[in-house]
Amino acid sequence: MIENDHKSQGAAFGMRGIVKRVLPHIILCAFSLMILMPLLWILRVSFTDRLTAYKIPPEIGTVGLMNYVEIFQRYPFASWFLNSLIVALGATAIALPLATALAYAFARFNTGGTFLRLGVLASQMLPPIILVLPLFGMFLMAGLMHSRTGLVIAHLTISLPFLSWMLVSFFEGDVARLEEAARVDGATRWQAFRHIAVPVAAPGILAAGLLGFILSWNEFLFALVLSGPSSQTLPVGLAALETHAGVEIAPLAAATVVSLVPVFALLPFLRKHLIKGLSLGALK
Amino acid sequence: MASISLSNIHKLYPNGYAAVRDVSLDIRDGEFMILLGPSGCGKSTTLRMIAGLETISAGDLHIGGARVNDVDPADRDVAIVFQNYALYPHMTVADNLSFGLRLRNVERRIIEGRVATIAGMLGIGDLLARKPAQLSGGQRQRVALGRALVREPKAFLLDEPLSNLDAKLRASMRTELIKLHRTLGTTIVHVTHDQVEAMTMGERICIMKDGVIVQVGAPMEVYRNPVNTFVAGFLASPPMNLLHGMLDSDRISIGDVVLPLPQSLRRAFASHAGRKVIVGLRPEDFHLKADAAPVAAPIEVVSVTTEVLGPEVILVGTLKNSSAELHIRCPRDFRSEPGAMTVFNYDLSQLQLFDIETTTALMRPVKI
Repeated sequence: MIENDHKSQGAAFGMRGIVKRVLPHIILCAFSLMILMPLLWILRVSFTDRLTAYKIPPEIGTVGLMNYVEIFQRYPFASWFLNSLIVALGATAIALPLATALAYAFARFNTGGTFLRLGVLASQMLPPIILVLPLFGMFLMAGLMHSRTGLVIAHLTISLPFLSWMLVSFFEGDVARLEEAARVDGATRWQAFRHIAVPVAAPGILAAGLLGFILSWNEFLFALVLSGPSSQTLPVGLAALETHAGVEIAPLAAATVVSLVPVFALLPFLRKHLIKGLSLGALK
Repeated sequence: MASISLSNIHKLYPNGYAAVRDVSLDIRDGEFMILLGPSGCGKSTTLRMIAGLETISAGDLHIGGARVNDVDPADRDVAIVFQNYALYPHMTVADNLSFGLRLRNVERRIIEGRVATIAGMLGIGDLLARKPAQLSGGQRQRVALGRALVREPKAFLLDEPLSNLDAKLRASMRTELIKLHRTLGTTIVHVTHDQVEAMTMGERICIMKDGVIVQVGAPMEVYRNPVNTFVAGFLASPPMNLLHGMLDSDRISIGDVVLPLPQSLRRAFASHAGRKVIVGLRPEDFHLKADAAPVAAPIEVVSVTTEVLGPEVILVGTLKNSSAELHIRCPRDFRSEPGAMTVFNYDLSQLQLFDIETTTALMRPVKI
């Protein structure tokens, strides 16, 4: 389709037309390559042996799945993956309902006014490193160090403010009118929230949940300081592959590829629901 | 079915803005009441207070004899139809219609029966499985109406439900609403800024401005005896011509034009003689024939332009030696070139006078 368009348009407008249409594509392709190159590089390295991994210009060398086997055999990759999954799912499962309720309170009752809204946002503006040390101290006292529970709590400090801010807009505007209609129809505030506001904002809530999961999945600093040997998450585990003997680049690449799988699997849903959520305003 | 009574209702917002001030209105059981006024006059706020969607700052609201100031909207047993319909986008038409009944745990068999009856009545029977996004504006309007009807509430509150429809559909929905009211006999409070809707649909009209009630009455009563220049200038299209004049004991002068006062009016206006007034002349009280009205006075009008509407022609003109414009309703074959002069016979029995300072109507005998 697009190529056909190109041809007919090019013929119609001559050389200048072709240049005008082709030039943006060349630039866009260059930028796309810039972003894709590291990913493709990692993908290639993950299938090669240790020796060829560093070679420039790149060589093919022995191609195989040995790196993937190695990360599971020589390193506790399965444990990292499981920890990441539990922490990310746990943090999202707790953050999402709380953020939904907070966002609803902000949107409908203006709870706490501008002060509280900005307060929630302010916690996001601080560099995470500032939060890590107090958390470290508190977790020591509470006996939460090195535990997955502690990590879930730590991740909540990131995802709860972020998700609630993101969700406020989904409860503002026309949804309020729908709730009013429901309340006159006989619904209590809770029923209107449960049967009208939440289903109507569902695409937004789902998108927020996916973002919250990815946020937690990729989080490094908190996990590095607060987790222990048995609760290490993927980003921390991957960092550990930079050993004293040098970076274990080939297994690191394989581990990176595996850790990217859940995020990539979620992206299509995220895109679909974000777009659906953002175009909800069209009521009339 | 129920009466709705508002006594000294106020709505104050925290920022000090008074949206509604001291509104008292008795809406009879089964009455079709119109709240009419320009945007920002407090009519929608008043309706929302009746529905329970806005708190009442002061005053008492009774529905069916019971005070409901603090009753939750869910328990007031009224139904509201919004301007943008507010259909639940994630539910089918059938679920939209039955939502209120399902909340009340009505038996499923009864719900299905009622939904079918209402859907048949409104001609939306074949749309029941669709979602609101798949409906046209007129169909959504019907579903919104059906959602209100299906619950058989004590009263219907309509918040400009016709304003999003095109002119033709609006006219037919107007007729349907009137018929519906006749069939059901339920109390209806209809908020609108459209004076045609107000005149044609309402049994009584309550005209509001700046948060207060200006006048309440049957459409023709409000049309014939507007209490002030605001009502006079708001109702009917084109509205009453309002011109500055001078009242003497036996005549009114509007610039160079002098209208003799009939005996009966002389007595009525005697106490105001010698004062400046606003003279109200309805566009439809000007006649080309001299014998069209028993007590008439000739008025010379210089044509500025004519608006040919089909069934009638609106002449926009000025009085001799004056720049104040006035509109005159003429028969459909009337034509006038700009600058041409026409003599009309004004029906003096319809003359309205308003105080120039307070803009309120000067007392007028009901019959001349």
